[in-house]
Amino acid sequence: MSRVGEPKLLLASRSVEVGYLGQAILPPVSVEIREGEFWAIIGRNGSGKTTWLKTMLGLLPPVRGRVEHGHAGLRLSYLPQRKAIDELYPLLARDVVRMGLDRGWSFVRPWLGREHPEVTSALEEMGVNDLADEPFRRLSEGQKQRVLFARLSVSRAELAVLDEPTSAMDQVAEHEAFTLLDGLRERRGLAIVIVSHYLGMVRRFADRALLLDRDTGTAVSGAPAEVFADDRFHARFSERPPALKTLEDGDA
Amino acid sequence: MPDGGEALSHDELEEAFGSDLGAGPSTSATATPSAPHEAPAQPPMGAERSAVEGVPSWSEFAHGWELGIYRDPVLCGVFAGVVLGVLGVFVVLRRAVFVTAAVSQAAGLGVALAFYLELTLHAHIPPVLAALALALGATAVLTYRMQRMRLPSETLVGLIYLAASAGAILVGDRIAQESHDIASILFGTAVLVRPMDLALVVGAGTITLIVISAGYRGFLFAGFDPEGASVHRLPVRLLDLSLWVLVALEVSVTTRAIGALPVFAFAVAPAMAALALLERVRWALALAAALGGLAGGLGYLFAFFYEFPVGASQATLSLLFLLICLPLARVLRGSAA
Repeated sequence: MSRVGEPKLLLASRSVEVGYLGQAILPPVSVEIREGEFWAIIGRNGSGKTTWLKTMLGLLPPVRGRVEHGHAGLRLSYLPQRKAIDELYPLLARDVVRMGLDRGWSFVRPWLGREHPEVTSALEEMGVNDLADEPFRRLSEGQKQRVLFARLSVSRAELAVLDEPTSAMDQVAEHEAFTLLDGLRERRGLAIVIVSHYLGMVRRFADRALLLDRDTGTAVSGAPAEVFADDRFHARFSERPPALKTLEDGDA
Repeated sequence: MPDGGEALSHDELEEAFGSDLGAGPSTSATATPSAPHEAPAQPPMGAERSAVEGVPSWSEFAHGWELGIYRDPVLCGVFAGVVLGVLGVFVVLRRAVFVTAAVSQAAGLGVALAFYLELTLHAHIPPVLAALALALGATAVLTYRMQRMRLPSETLVGLIYLAASAGAILVGDRIAQESHDIASILFGTAVLVRPMDLALVVGAGTITLIVISAGYRGFLFAGFDPEGASVHRLPVRLLDLSLWVLVALEVSVTTRAIGALPVFAFAVAPAMAALALLERVRWALALAAALGGLAGGLGYLFAFFYEFPVGASQATLSLLFLLICLPLARVLRGSAA
């Protein structure tokens, strides 16, 4: 429960163990995600990050423990890894953004039209209004991601969960993507949970980090600086991970 | 044959066409332009034959149309083409083209079993119901097991296709007196369509179009990004199930009416052509419906005037549309770039 003066609790993991067929792959994780927080989930490939995220979102059942919503009707939105989005569909960028408006059975309402003003303003907010009538599948990776961020924006979510949204981007585009997300957080009070391998961006933008590693049975959460200073982090990454090193050198 | 409402009585058909059905689409699955027909062509009473002896004429077709003999199968082909064209867009987008083939073969086996049970056990099971039961069964196995198998999902699709095809041929072999009907169903050589079948095709097609229209955005979201749709609390599983039930319903009803081959062709080729050509789902749906309807209607006319099997003509026309659209899409993309 939220205490007076604390940001509103949105989602809580209460000793949640995640895995498949009753077998946990990670130790119990207890974290609370609150309004306006920027969480980064970090770990090596295959460390269980996506499994943990999907369990928190209700896409997978927890092996043990429980996932709690801060209030009934919590509005979640999810941007899965790019491979989970089927680009065979001939959709315009505008159509993809409009999907963010649909929730529950609202898709049967014909008047929730393509020209909804919120769709246009979300496209403008992400700087892709001129691409509104372009086929989504023909956009560049950076443009696609902006369109998908516009979908997040239009969804009026309280908590947005993104699984490696910048994996196909160069460093400049990646920085722009984090900046856009941070802007959404500031303007809307949106909480963000993002899986990222770019530790420099995590250090710069996130205010909470969760390190997961199934091989060593690790789950460490806290402020990014605390997590990066943890021995278990150093055991799984190099002494100073390249991305982090570059950022620190640049900052200096 | 299990009843289901004949289009015309035998006497009426004889009155109109003499001792056989006259010229028109071939009922042979292996017919060639030079192949002899099962009976010599006879002009319908009151209709004039064309100047070239043995070649069907428009007046002959018009007369048969007025009697309902050609009208019902043409309408059936058009309506089936339209609805399967629309449904096919979602089937192709779901990468489940051969699911339709397997389900249509299962429906064919269902029809064959209905005939067999009628003849051997005098158990009256409407063929359409038998087709629907087996189509739904195949769909249930495919949708349930595809999520759990360690083998590629195509293997199960192939297995069901194989089992259903072999089963229909084996069952058909034991009902020799109805083997012509079985062949018609499996190869799509049915020349005539009973009013009951037309009514069922229209009814099932209308239900399909209504459900697709009502759930259009849901079907798209659930297919494009199923996890994102689930988090938005869309009923993704129900939408998936609805789609495959609609496929089973439409395929079983149309398979009984026009045969498995044209059903598979209508569910695949128009959608592929439309999706290759257009960058909007709505436009692709409209074009697939138009191409499917054209293939259904013109395919029958082609079969009538050139004396080919109906189903194969409709399937070939569907493929022809696809062959036209594929290079056209490349040209359009090239000019757009």
